[in-house]
Amino acid sequence: MANIKRANALGITKTGVAISDVPDAPTIGVVADLGTGSTASVAYTAATTGGTATTFTATSSPGGLTGTGSSPITVSGLTAGTAYTFTVTASNTTGSKASAASSSLTLAAVGVYESIATVTGTGSAGSLTFSSIPSTYSHLQIRGMYKDTSTTDYDVSVCLLGRANSITSGYTKHNLIGYGTVAGVQNSINEGYLGFGGCYMSSGGSYTNMFSPIIIDIHNYASTTQNKTIRYITGNDANQASTNRVISLGSNLIQSTSAISSLTFYPADSGFAAGSTFALYGIKGS
Amino acid sequence: MAITYEPIANITLTDASSSIVFGSIPNTWTDLRVVLVNKGGTAGCRLQFNSDTATNYSTISLIGTGSSAASARATSGDRISLEYYGMDASIPSMYTADIFSYAGSTYKTVLGTAAEDFNGSGSTSVRVGLWRSTAAITGLRLFTVGTAFQSGTTATLIGIKAA
Repeated sequence: MANIKRANALGITKTGVAISDVPDAPTIGVVADLGTGSTASVAYTAATTGGTATTFTATSSPGGLTGTGSSPITVSGLTAGTAYTFTVTASNTTGSKASAASSSLTLAAVGVYESIATVTGTGSAGSLTFSSIPSTYSHLQIRGMYKDTSTTDYDVSVCLLGRANSITSGYTKHNLIGYGTVAGVQNSINEGYLGFGGCYMSSGGSYTNMFSPIIIDIHNYASTTQNKTIRYITGNDANQASTNRVISLGSNLIQSTSAISSLTFYPADSGFAAGSTFALYGIKGS
Repeated sequence: MAITYEPIANITLTDASSSIVFGSIPNTWTDLRVVLVNKGGTAGCRLQFNSDTATNYSTISLIGTGSSAASARATSGDRISLEYYGMDASIPSMYTADIFSYAGSTYKTVLGTAAEDFNGSGSTSVRVGLWRSTAAITGLRLFTVGTAFQSGTTATLIGIKAA
């Protein structure tokens, strides 16, 4: 708007405020899922004709949820799984005009836990690896069942080892182990592996149809400023009244500030028996 | 990536009951997790599958009482015991059981935890359990012996699907 001065028939001038034109409708652009499960971006192009718009507002349908700003506008509060279209309205003090509706957009749901990958033993492989682990999660969890290809029933030993990023030193462990009759502890520093310790299940005849379960939680794995802390629980119950069947709870530390992008599991002996499997999950959250 | 840790069913007791049963569990997931928050009572929390009451279960436990650590085992039992100390009459306690490859054709293994802190007594414990059956788990029963689970006790069954 601009001040204008006009003269009437008598030559007397008056000063007033010009009325702006109504802005022409913007052209709707790409709408996109922002990946949060509740937000979308709405792009538009302002018209080059008509009055100057002072505000651009994106509005969802259904819901009437809005966002304002320059392109692309973020609209929040949407519901995953619902199909939305959006319009963008250009407005000034004189009036407003809305764009045509966008194409339809359905936001994907976002979970706290997401499945990333599974690796499975074949009976011959010496190790199993998760590689190219994305850094998009807060924490990782690994759930698995495993046993060794050996047919010899060893006594209690560290049965399952791991390495992150091929790092070969700087691992520490503190394990609390129940042997069925007594409890014990293990600890060590600056090892070459993570030690998920204290249990062993072979492929011997006593263990047909049996596997050792394990859950491993790796905290803040993508940090590039902190060492990595790990908690695990594993066990080996074969319905035996002997002392070499165990339950183990432990914590590990990886003394490295590198983000973890790969994890490799090693069996105690030659390989993981067929049916052994490890599944990797990503955990979101702050 | 696929979302997982999906709630399958949730049960909240409106009256005292000695058992909580999840039936017709589909084979959709890789593993199961059941979480029970007890609202009071004095008995333990135990687990059976597919209505099997025979002696096909075993458990090895690791227990911390606040003053010492201990371990115990039970072979050829008729359940997997998730508790160690037992419940308190008024203070809640919590039990979890992760059941691996529940729809698979091997024996079923369980990792369990118990949080039984009763302000001066109680324990914390973890355990591994085995059900010597190759049948897929389609039913799960949490039960007590003695005093029942009290009204307000909740049990949640969660499905976990690997990639």
